[in-house]
Amino acid sequence: MGNLFGRKRRSRVTEQDKAVLQLKQQRDKLKQYRKRITLNLERERDVARQLLRDGKKEKAKSLLKKKRYQEQLLDKTENQISNLERMVQDIEFTQIEMKVIEGLKIGNECLNKMHEVMSVEEVERIIDETQDAVEYQRQIDEMLAGSFTEEDEDAILEELNAITQEQLELPEVPTEPLPEKIPEASPVKIRAKPELVAAS
Amino acid sequence: AAMSFEWPWQYRFPPFFTLQPNVDTRQKQMTAWCSLVLSYCRLNKQYIMTVMEAQESPLFNNRKLQRKLPMESIQVVLEELRKKGNLEWLDKNKSSFLIMWRRPEEWGKLIYQWVSKNGLTNSVFTLYELSNGDDTENEEFHGLEESMLLRALQALQQEHRAEIITLDDGRGVKFF
Repeated sequence: MGNLFGRKRRSRVTEQDKAVLQLKQQRDKLKQYRKRITLNLERERDVARQLLRDGKKEKAKSLLKKKRYQEQLLDKTENQISNLERMVQDIEFTQIEMKVIEGLKIGNECLNKMHEVMSVEEVERIIDETQDAVEYQRQIDEMLAGSFTEEDEDAILEELNAITQEQLELPEVPTEPLPEKIPEASPVKIRAKPELVAAS
Repeated sequence: AAMSFEWPWQYRFPPFFTLQPNVDTRQKQMTAWCSLVLSYCRLNKQYIMTVMEAQESPLFNNRKLQRKLPMESIQVVLEELRKKGNLEWLDKNKSSFLIMWRRPEEWGKLIYQWVSKNGLTNSVFTLYELSNGDDTENEEFHGLEESMLLRALQALQQEHRAEIITLDDGRGVKFF
């Protein structure tokens, strides 16, 4: 029943996945073979030891020959396992590279579409239109400005001056009358200057 | 391994090996038996058992006490476990069973944790690799029996976190 539901959904397993899986199965088989040979070697080591103890030198020697051959097979098996694992890694990396390229492709398509909407000519056109609009507005402002009379212009200028004066903020003028002596003071100052000049 | 196992007090209590007539007592007895079966199998990492095996195993046969749980009662215990979702019969004759001292969903969770911790989503694995590979040596699910592993992966498949792949000579899985 689990399979029935499995088939209804779209599979997320690619052909590359299946290829990788097959490689891994081969590798698993080699690993099991390696285990078997390793066990055999251990056993034969013990048997050889026993044969030597029993003085059966020739038999021990032929057993060791067999053992040597199996050790060579073991080395070859190790190499094959490495080869398969390397291939698995290469395929997995290629899948990642493919994803990167796909991503770049999609990004590129997106950029191009956006450029279609905003072509250089289109931008120029918008800028021109905007300048026209600004110019138009200025003309309108001018027209509206021209509707003020001479009187209005003077009133506006006067108000402008008034505000400017306010902004200068002079200190309050004292209300007491000025003392009389001050006009005398100035001539003294004036006379002093020529003396100074003579001295120098 | 059975030696290091801590038997519950009931195991040394002779009436434990006789199906109790009183409804409440029987309920407690069944609970204790179910619990014992699960802990025993968990410790011994036993996933599959035949009924014959079970009968003679220290689990149902306390040699020191000279008490054995009779076959009919063993069947009752097994049926209890099946109802609770901890047991699955592997054949029509009910001669061998899968004892799930950890539910498939729980195994699935452990496996998925390992997958995401090691950045292995979108990768494919053979079942052999998961249960016997070098990369899973320190994981709890290392050595997991194939049918138990398959059920764990099926649970993950239901959650759309895995897809089981069937090839000519074996099965694999892809994690998402």
